[in-house]
Amino acid sequence: MKYQTQKIAYAYFLVAMILFAVQVSMGLILGWIYVSPNFLSEILPFNVGRMLHTNSLIVWLLLGFFGAAYYLVPEEAEREIHSPKLAYLQLLILIVGTAGVVVTYLFNLFDGNFLLGNEGREFIEQPRWVKVGIVVAALIFLYNVTMTVLAGKKTAITNILLLGLWLLSLLFLFAFYNPANLALDKQYWWFIVHLWVEATWELVMASILAFLMLKLTGVDREVIEKWLYVIVATALFSGILGTGHHYYWIGMPGYWQWIGSIFSTLEVVPFFGMMAFAFVMVWKGRRDHPNKAALLWALGCATLAFFGAGVWGFLHTLHGVNYYTHGTQITAAHGHLAFFGAYVALNLAIITYAFPILKGRDPYNQVLNMASFWLMAGGMVFMTFTLTFAGTVQTHLQRVNGEFYMDVQDQLWVFYVMRFGSGVAVVLGALLFIYAVLAPRREVIEPGPVITTAAE
Amino acid sequence: MSITRAWAVLMALSLASTAIAWSGAGGVWAALAILTLAWGKAQVILNRYLRLSQAPDISRGVALVLGLFMAGVMGLAVAGG
Amino acid sequence: MSRTPTEPPARGIEALPGDLMMWVLIVSELLVFGAGLLAFMGVRLTDPAGFAEAQSHLDRTGAGLNTMILVTSGWLAARAVAAAESADTARTRALLAGAAALGVAFLWIKWLDYAAKGAAGITFETHPFFTFYYLLTGFHAVHVVAGIVILGLVAIRPRAPTVEVGAMFWHMVDLVWVLLFPIIYLLGAGA
Repeated sequence: MKYQTQKIAYAYFLVAMILFAVQVSMGLILGWIYVSPNFLSEILPFNVGRMLHTNSLIVWLLLGFFGAAYYLVPEEAEREIHSPKLAYLQLLILIVGTAGVVVTYLFNLFDGNFLLGNEGREFIEQPRWVKVGIVVAALIFLYNVTMTVLAGKKTAITNILLLGLWLLSLLFLFAFYNPANLALDKQYWWFIVHLWVEATWELVMASILAFLMLKLTGVDREVIEKWLYVIVATALFSGILGTGHHYYWIGMPGYWQWIGSIFSTLEVVPFFGMMAFAFVMVWKGRRDHPNKAALLWALGCATLAFFGAGVWGFLHTLHGVNYYTHGTQITAAHGHLAFFGAYVALNLAIITYAFPILKGRDPYNQVLNMASFWLMAGGMVFMTFTLTFAGTVQTHLQRVNGEFYMDVQDQLWVFYVMRFGSGVAVVLGALLFIYAVLAPRREVIEPGPVITTAAE
Repeated sequence: MSITRAWAVLMALSLASTAIAWSGAGGVWAALAILTLAWGKAQVILNRYLRLSQAPDISRGVALVLGLFMAGVMGLAVAGG
Repeated sequence: MSRTPTEPPARGIEALPGDLMMWVLIVSELLVFGAGLLAFMGVRLTDPAGFAEAQSHLDRTGAGLNTMILVTSGWLAARAVAAAESADTARTRALLAGAAALGVAFLWIKWLDYAAKGAAGITFETHPFFTFYYLLTGFHAVHVVAGIVILGLVAIRPRAPTVEVGAMFWHMVDLVWVLLFPIIYLLGAGA
């Protein structure tokens, strides 16, 4: 650890991993509800459980991004973070807000209250006071990190990271605009949901991946920056108008079907670019970095993101296909592998890279960490296939044959059992990961020969 | 080919396609002729205006993709009558 | 852009003239327009008669004229690059201004075309042909506007690399039009 304030990342990653455990456990409960629908129906209604599953995912991924920023910005800018106090205050606000959401929903409090009541819009259902807290926390973060970068060295990696984080924060402001017209509501809602995961988060992803490649492979910064710029350009080019693939059936004009189909098809390009980037860098790299687990996560991230976000997204993005598959288990299959590949694996990669350094004992328990990768990735891939088959069957029975929704669900039962099984593997993998990262163990693998070249 | 020569070729090809359209010639052959002229224009713009001929490897790759695209359009034009 | 004879000729992506990012943009744009045109041709198969009827409402002469305008504008832009490379600022600016002026002329003719459609009550929803017509030509026209702005910006301090980047964007707009024009305006017109 070159800079003391990088330690801030430790707290962020820790809270992120706690929420990660909550998220996957909640996922397991939901998976069981699919198998046995009355499970917990009195105390934890499905919609609340599902909200906790998705929102804890988003919050922990964002905490991971913030942590990654606090870790890599000092190293890139060659400066300590502007104000560590503010960084911890930001974390505190986010924790209080998250706890507030959980309590409000679990006990169904303050219904209808302007400030305290839940808002009920998927992913942005936080009570208004929590939304304000999120904005304040984001402002603190942006101020803190921007001041650090402005005072220090500006690199392509920090520029792209900051661009992504600034834009995603600004887009969140649409959460305060809630038109009564349902079509308009959805139109603006996608400005947050789509433009986060299919535009601005991709910038964050590309820059963190670039940082990892820089450190792990030792390829020249100039080469990495060129890749980074190309990936970011194609991500924004395809992602922004790619929003149109959510506008097919919500009452927007018909031309969105073509704009959405064409641009969102091109969204495969940046994900392919990131996969090619990661493998070419490793292939070209001269550095044999001892943190093999971080490299495994980084390569796994790029690969699974390409398949989950790119290929599985393309599967149902053309409006002619989506007409039939919309909102079936195909969407669930895509959602799971895309989030796991692109953003979960990315966070776990930077955590795997940073933790041994933050704890001052690199490298360490590599075998357990790598085992957790295979458990989680294997479980997730199996879940994706299961849900894809379920979705295919569902599309045929429900959308082609016109059978009733619940009748079809009964026929999908066997897929839901298999999905639950793969969920168990993912949860075990997640717990193993957290253990492997946190528990102090002596290293299991012999460190590779460290070639001491001047860093970068 | 100088820039001005390229321009002259582009103008000639444009006039030729306009002439075909004006002549009232219809059907598949006219469509194929018009598309072939467009193909030629695209190649001139790529190689001369955009100077892609300086990068022969990439120029060949682009020409191949453009060729596939034109083949696709021509195929659809023939299928559509 | 001329190389000294002692240098080995660059190969592959290294030999690419101009800025790599502009090429990324050009390829992306070509993929979008290419996909749009293929989709147009595909949907056309479902209703050849309806497409032919819809197409007969277009101003073919104006669009043909516009092809020559853009091609000539591209010629001026290409010569502006040569002028910028020989550091002739006044000449570069004049050529860029000429290219941009022809761009404005293109937009004027395009506007007359749109106005006539509007007066005839033809909208996006009139027929699938017009959905594609407005989408593809409209998207192209937006790029013409952007191109004019870019040509204006690079004319402020015309250094060779920036003029080249601006001209490349302009040539892309040109390239898209020479493919779009025959497919939308001319195919099957005589039938």
